[in-house]
Amino acid sequence: MSLTYLEAIREAQARALRDDPRVFIYGQDVGGFGGAFKATKNLAVEFPGRVLDSPISEDAMVGMAVGAAIEGMRPIVEMQFADFSLVGFNQIVNQAGTLFWRTNISCPITVRLPFGGTSGGGPFHSQCIEAIYAHYPGLIVLTPATVEDAYSMLLEAVALDDPVIFCEHKFLYYHLKAEKLPDEALPIGKARIAREGRDLTIVTYSAMVHEALEAAKELSGEGWEIEVVDLRSVKPLDTDTVMASVARTGKLLCVGEAWPWGGVTAEIISRVTAEGFGLLDAPPQRLNAKDTPVPYHPNLWAAHRPTARSVAAAARNLLRQ
Amino acid sequence: MKVPVIMPQLGEAIAEANIVAFLVNPGDSVAADQNLIEVETNKATMSVTAPCTGTIEKFTAQLNESYVVGAVLGHIEATKEEIERRGLDASSPAKISDTDRVAKPDANGRTRVQPTVRGLPVPANAAGASYLSPRLKARMAELGLSAADLAGVAGSGAAGRVTIEDFEKFITTLEKHKMSGASSMRVAVADAMRRSWTRPLATVGLPVRLDAVLAHRKTSNPKPGPALYALRALAIALSENSAPAGRLVGTKIVHPGSIDVGFAVEAEDGVLVPVIRHADQKVLRDLTERYNELVELARERKLPADATGGSIATVTNFGTFGLTWATPIPLPEQTLVLGMGAGRHVPHWDEKQNQFVPVIEAYLTLSFDHRVLDGGAAGRLLQRIGQLMSQPEKL
Repeated sequence: MSLTYLEAIREAQARALRDDPRVFIYGQDVGGFGGAFKATKNLAVEFPGRVLDSPISEDAMVGMAVGAAIEGMRPIVEMQFADFSLVGFNQIVNQAGTLFWRTNISCPITVRLPFGGTSGGGPFHSQCIEAIYAHYPGLIVLTPATVEDAYSMLLEAVALDDPVIFCEHKFLYYHLKAEKLPDEALPIGKARIAREGRDLTIVTYSAMVHEALEAAKELSGEGWEIEVVDLRSVKPLDTDTVMASVARTGKLLCVGEAWPWGGVTAEIISRVTAEGFGLLDAPPQRLNAKDTPVPYHPNLWAAHRPTARSVAAAARNLLRQ
Repeated sequence: MKVPVIMPQLGEAIAEANIVAFLVNPGDSVAADQNLIEVETNKATMSVTAPCTGTIEKFTAQLNESYVVGAVLGHIEATKEEIERRGLDASSPAKISDTDRVAKPDANGRTRVQPTVRGLPVPANAAGASYLSPRLKARMAELGLSAADLAGVAGSGAAGRVTIEDFEKFITTLEKHKMSGASSMRVAVADAMRRSWTRPLATVGLPVRLDAVLAHRKTSNPKPGPALYALRALAIALSENSAPAGRLVGTKIVHPGSIDVGFAVEAEDGVLVPVIRHADQKVLRDLTERYNELVELARERKLPADATGGSIATVTNFGTFGLTWATPIPLPEQTLVLGMGAGRHVPHWDEKQNQFVPVIEAYLTLSFDHRVLDGGAAGRLLQRIGQLMSQPEKL
């Protein structure tokens, strides 16, 4: 049996529905239609009355989920695109994010954000907005890069008592396949060494893990051994694993598909320079999407986001320092 | 001219699609954007359209097979008009002249040179061996090393900087050698010399006749050491004008508070510098006993606290090693070090006797911080010291 990243997300939701009667799914067209990307395909049939179509209002969707969570439920909210979650932003950051801190009542909601660029996605269907959610206290922000992580982290997201922003990358939906679902997983908040190396550390997450691994493969042909750290979750951020890796290599390159300004890559560099200045043998670097809206044209899009080629070029520059 | 028909990006996150039907046949004429192939994704059924006007040459794709986005599904033979209209003829590419690239007129018609270099160059003083990364600094601090210890390491980094990797290799090669600990005295001297060497230092020399000093010494009891004559002469010269002993700090010359002069004494594995306070205010005879006492205490490394530090210049008698010339390095907190070479018999032309006569001559050297003094000022100071030493009875 082989299954995709998208199927793993469907399977995780099926299992969550099966294991816990408090779980339900709420979102636009998640019922009969099976979701914009078919992440809830057949779940409405399998779990009648627990996979519910919402009105076209992200504000109402999250607001209703917060209310249900207060009453003891564990809702999963599906956004059609991460970009549209900004319409429900107020409910997520002001209501869900602060609920426990205001009332001592936890808010175990999971908001699934199909995010990240695909060819031709353009400005409203490609955004990587993990950093703006990570900015707010009270939220957990997960960014799985593998089929296994998509499955196990979504299950853990539903089990957590805090509101979780689950960033699932659209480009990985069909491009990633695994043989079977995992039986065990690293805990949330623990990064993974996706490739071991000694010359340079690339810290990244989600789809960029695969670009970084491709770049590392290319550079190994030139005699460089690149260590790739897959953050898995951007909040909490596993500073220890990053620091330990930089201690091994002395050089840090952070890669993110999101915009550079005040983002996850900036946060990592800030932490490493503040807490691990003495580990750095060269100025830490980062590679992000260009600071413009995401372009439609496939060629422009390919130039807009970091790719294996641009990651390898940035790494080469840093290795020559 | 053949134009490929390519599986388009059919929607968000779609990686591949299945061929459901061919809507036209090879040999058919088609217009640009006409539907050619029906494909199915897991979301919807859609059409692949013609990229240009022309005739279908062939379809390479098979019915009911799945193809990834970007795969070639067939080819269209484009019409002549279409080739011209779309500029598809590769045999006549648009020309871009060098002048177009180098200098393009801007909106106001002014010609501007296009930049060829992006980003700022590395500052010269940040390149090469002088640049130590934070990690290298931290590692060197851990091992108690300083930048001078890296002088023998060829760097492999940008502009020849020593990378952490170069450094670790260097440390590994050291471990193959026999190593012994340097004494604390050695380490202290090394530290002082390194700090002093951060300044531009220069040395001038002057031969002086020692006959008068040696004659005076024979008749004295107790006998002053030759260096004490030089020390006293230096103290007098500096009391006349203390500026040469000043220290440059930023934009200010810091003048010495009192004429306290040190002298170098070789002790086991290093050099100690006892200090004679107010050397300008006591005559040679009154200094001799104190001088001899301090030499002994220094050799036993039992110098009292009030006899070390705070001096404004140092005298060193390298002549005791038989050396006639040297370029000593002043202490880091001092601008001057006066050196004295070994006396030798040399022929001297005597104008009165109209012949060469044997005299005893030694070189006085003055090493100085060139930021504070120039050769002229250093030379004048040295001349004055030589003059004072020619009349030892006045010292």
